[in-house]
This record gives sequence, C-alpha cells and structure tokens, in this order.
Amino acid sequence: MSVEVEVNENDLAEMVEQVWESYLDPEGISPLIPTYDENQPSEVHSSVSITGSWTGHIVYASSTSAARRAAAAFLAMEMDEVSEEDVSDVLGELANIVGGNVKAMLPPGALLSLPQVVLAPESTARFPNTQRISGVYGVWDGEPVSISMWQSRGDNKEGAE
Amino acid sequence: MKILIADDSRVMRQIVVRTLRQAGFGDHELIEAADGKQAFEMTKSENPDLVLSDWNMPEMTGIEVLRQLRAAGNDVKFGFVTSESTPEMKDQADAAGALFFIVKPFSAERFDEVFAPILG
Repeated sequence: MSVEVEVNENDLAEMVEQVWESYLDPEGISPLIPTYDENQPSEVHSSVSITGSWTGHIVYASSTSAARRAAAAFLAMEMDEVSEEDVSDVLGELANIVGGNVKAMLPPGALLSLPQVVLAPESTARFPNTQRISGVYGVWDGEPVSISMWQSRGDNKEGAE
Repeated sequence: MKILIADDSRVMRQIVVRTLRQAGFGDHELIEAADGKQAFEMTKSENPDLVLSDWNMPEMTGIEVLRQLRAAGNDVKFGFVTSESTPEMKDQADAAGALFFIVKPFSAERFDEVFAPILG
C-alpha cells in the first residue's frame, strides 16, 4: 500500500528546473514557462514506475519537436541530426532522472523501474487505478512539455488487477 | 589515466563524457560499459584508474559491481553517478568503499569539485 506522497508540486518544479539548468537550457535563455494546463497536448511520452514505499508513475510528455530539441541539447547535436533512437533514449533518460529524484524524497524501500518510452501521446497511456497527484506543465520555446506524478490508489493491492 | 564509464543509458554515457570534457578531464582515456556485468569484466581486463558507475543497471547493479571487485581484491577508485540517491544507498556505497556519489542532474562544476582531487 502506498504512503501519503511527500513530493509536492514545488518539489517537482525544482527537479524540473535542475534538469533544464543542467542539460536542456544551461545558458539560462530558454526556460520551461508554466502554463498550468494539465490537459495540454503531447505527441510522445516516457515513464518510470516506482513501487514499494510509494507506488505510482512519473510521466514526461512533450511534442515531437520538443523531444527532438531535448535530444539535441542532451547530445550536443543539431536538431536535424537527431535520430529516432536519440529521441527515445533521451526521453527515457528524462523520465529516469526525474523518477530517481522523486525516489530520493520517498521513504526507504522504493524501487525504480527502467524507463518506458512511447512515441505516441500521453493520452494513449493507461495506468490502472491511478490518479494524477501533481504535475508541472509548460511550454519550452513554444512547445508543450509536462512532467506528472500518478499515484496508485491505496486500495489497489499489489498484483491484483 | 584511464576512466571507465558504466551506464546502461547511451545518452547518459555521452553526457558523462561531455561533462568530463567540459570539466577539463577530456585528455584522459575514456572507455564505456553498457551494463554492470560488462563494467565488472572491463574493470578486470582493462585496468582503469577510475570507474564512474550508474547504480541501477541490468545484469549487475553498480553496488554489486563494486562489492564483487573488492571481494576479488580489486582496489580501483570507484564512485557512483546516479539519478537515484537515498541515505541508505549512500551508506551502502560508503561501506563498500566508494569514493564519491554524484547525483543526476550534475554540472561540470560538480565534476570538477569531485574529480580534481582524484585526477589531479
């Protein structure tokens, strides 16, 4: 059973800011500008699952263009040099980094999965028995990007579907 | 010096390499391992001076790699570069003989701070 989550929206926003500072916008010229629109569209997404002391999912979603831009920034390449594999790997790493940072704030006994990447909108994902508890929604150079946390409901027994 | 970078994420290995260069350590010989078992084998066969390892990897986790190296009598300088960090993990790393624990996302400044004393 999950504990009450101790990671709030501000924590999530701070992690996201660190990712931008370190990798996506080291010059500090192109931050993620909040839209607070949890229904903004996406074209690709990645996720990691956390199980144990807290159970749920961390989802990174964006437009294809923002994903290519992220891959170019991560890999120090031009956007038109970026392959689909680069985009997949970078999307996976983004979910992994945020998920790892979320895990660090949870009580001991949480396990992080390897990332899953889906080159289709977040709206195609279905996480059974979960509810969105927190998220950072914004535009990066005009393109939608979001990072959200989905908590499995406490009455969702492990292994039961 | 020879530095082994162990991470199952190709992107993260590239970022570690780039950050090492940015921090001024690009002249060292950099080699890469894509999972824990490979990291263990390459540490034995390639004799790196330093190992930078992810924690969560297929085949063997980073902490298993470190423990098995020490159990085999290998004293290579070893530390973690990981997106996961809990006090328990840091304690385990310390107890196993890790020199450092760098959390992703990291900066070139952080690399410099950690590696300057080790790499000179």
